[in-house]
Amino acid sequence: MKLSLALGAAPADGWRRLSTRRRLGLVLLGLLLAVAWLTPWLHDADPARQQLTRILESPTLAAPLGTDHLGRDMLARTAAALRLSLDMALLSVVSAAVPGILLGVIAGWRGGWGDRVLGGLADACLALPGLLLVLLLAAIAPGNFWALYVGIALVLWIEYFRVVRARTRVLVASPQLEASRLLGFGPGYLFRRHLWPELAPQVLTLAAFGAASAILAMAALGFVSVGLRPPTAELGLMMTELLPYYHEAPWAMAQPILALCLLVLSLNLLAAKETK
Amino acid sequence: MSEILLEGHALGVHGEGVSIAPVDFSLARGGRLTLLGETGSGKSLIAQAIMGTLPSGLAASGELTIEGQAYAAAEGATRRALWGRRLALLPQEPWHALDPTMASGAQVAESHRYLRGLGRRRAREAARRDLVGLGLGLADAEGSLPGELSGGMAQRVAFAAASAGGAPLVIADEPTKGLDAPRRDAVVRLLAATPQRGGALLTITHDIEVARRLGGEVILLRRGRVVERGPAERLLSAPRSDYAKRLLEAEPSRWPAPPPPPATCGEPVVEARGLAKWRGGRALFRDLALSLRPGEIVGVVGPSGCGKSTLGDLLLGLTGTDAGEVKRAAGHRLAFQKLYQDPPAAFSPHWSLARLLDDLVRRHRLDRTAIAPLMTRLGLDRELLARRPGEISGGELQRFAILRVLLMEPRFLFADEPTSRLDPITQRDTLALLVELARERHCAVMLVSHDPALIERLCDRRLVLGQGEAVLAPESLDAQAV
Repeated sequence: MKLSLALGAAPADGWRRLSTRRRLGLVLLGLLLAVAWLTPWLHDADPARQQLTRILESPTLAAPLGTDHLGRDMLARTAAALRLSLDMALLSVVSAAVPGILLGVIAGWRGGWGDRVLGGLADACLALPGLLLVLLLAAIAPGNFWALYVGIALVLWIEYFRVVRARTRVLVASPQLEASRLLGFGPGYLFRRHLWPELAPQVLTLAAFGAASAILAMAALGFVSVGLRPPTAELGLMMTELLPYYHEAPWAMAQPILALCLLVLSLNLLAAKETK
Repeated sequence: MSEILLEGHALGVHGEGVSIAPVDFSLARGGRLTLLGETGSGKSLIAQAIMGTLPSGLAASGELTIEGQAYAAAEGATRRALWGRRLALLPQEPWHALDPTMASGAQVAESHRYLRGLGRRRAREAARRDLVGLGLGLADAEGSLPGELSGGMAQRVAFAAASAGGAPLVIADEPTKGLDAPRRDAVVRLLAATPQRGGALLTITHDIEVARRLGGEVILLRRGRVVERGPAERLLSAPRSDYAKRLLEAEPSRWPAPPPPPATCGEPVVEARGLAKWRGGRALFRDLALSLRPGEIVGVVGPSGCGKSTLGDLLLGLTGTDAGEVKRAAGHRLAFQKLYQDPPAAFSPHWSLARLLDDLVRRHRLDRTAIAPLMTRLGLDRELLARRPGEISGGELQRFAILRVLLMEPRFLFADEPTSRLDPITQRDTLALLVELARERHCAVMLVSHDPALIERLCDRRLVLGQGEAVLAPESLDAQAV
């Protein structure tokens, strides 16, 4: 809910105006956030601490979600992996959205050669498959969180840029902007009162989708072992690690999968178009 | 008695915030029926109820008889088979109804092909005949995309496409919206041909002149109710209801003659010399000279696309000139303001009017106490301040726009057809206020309109912009005093 209030121009009664799908998404995301950040407070276990005497244990009071093949606490690991994924999502969304919006507004507003250069740059980035770019960076700096992050952000900014630029172009030529300009308002005001309210819903949707694809990308890279390295608790990596033990400890294997599914689902629900 | 083509029994529409009281009507072969009413009176909903295309959330009630066949109005889908063949709708703003990526001729040919089952080649020939018959040359229309056509031409193409199926019953929804007087008359002639061919015509309009020219029966609607009905000649010359009387009095040609313009004095607010602007290799105008003094009301007339709005942009400094110069009075650039044709388009729709006014007051440290009396003058209720621009009527919003520019203490105001989207009564009141306030505050106004009668009643002088090469009509601004 905070997310929507901070990003959108939604008034205080924003919650009531949300569609059921978005509410569901917010509730789900809220629960996952709670699990991710409350667990270290309530359950004191180190996600990396191995206890080889207690491998693949079923859930008990000491380890509420059981332990993995190295005796590590699954609850702590899943929570840590969720935190990592959410951090990554937030980071990549912010660092893709901010330049994307900024450049989009500039290109749409100013037009001319700046618009053409930025448009060309965006097209050039689009010409490369996104995953390839990320893999390239992952190969240059293997196992580095920051390399992954830069790669994902580089792929994601283009969407923001294109959407924002197209909308800005239309708005800049509109009577409402001309009227405000004639009344002596500066660019800051025009952005705040005219552009942002129009852009916010679309940016919010893109952000939710972008967060979901960033999380999926990181998990996919982890799963094929080109992402983060063990012993980091990361959803994709955990799936690979636990895959051989799916028969002995299905609950352990299920946790990263379920966490990833719910996380992506909550974001996709948030991104769903208001159908009215 | 001639054969009845369309009959409505207690046809009404109900739904979210809308209610149209049941209305009866009948249209015989060769008949003409006009639904006349202001925006928001529910005219278009009646057309949609007949076609069976009401938006979801609205339901029609009553019965319809189309060529002897009875239909329940509520079951819109049953009339789908009639579309194009027996029942044709000429939509509002035809450029939105035509496919923007398909050549005009092909769109007309499609109707011939799919509705009348003609072969590809014969359909194309028939389309060509239609377009020529409507006065559209082969070269200019057939191969062009709708976006390349003028509004009037797009209208005729849409008409050809809608009527190609040979439907005897034609419904025209606001066919003259946004057209200037000569084009409006051309569309009316086009529509009048349908009953002459033995069809029947149902027209929906807010333009009294259209109703008058079409003749036949007129049903006057207001807020979803029938106010008065009768033959056009009678209703539009000797109305019985109060509302009809007020409506007719609000026609520009019946406005009282203006008081003699006060002697204007002082330095010119804005002056132009040798002004020229080209667009697409064609001169919109050239060698235009004008000079406006404080408190003067100058009308600008001319056909659509002749550069009226461009002239405003030049005088306001929103675009550059191709030749000549514009000299604005020394002082603040913010004293040059503009009123827009479509009031909701000139406001950010997301904020309350109070917020938008407050922004303006803060930005320029204006006198907040000036707002309340001005609002009273403009007949604006304080309660409206809490609403957003889309939540009040067009007339109210245009008065807010006037309020907004007056707070800037303008010296020059370019009013670009500020009332063309308002109904006649609101139009008269809004313009009267605008002129009164402008004179009081010594603000020069340039008023654009496509209605010559309106300009004649309100303006001290008149500027006629022509088309093409012959640019400034002989009555140039300095010479002409109306």
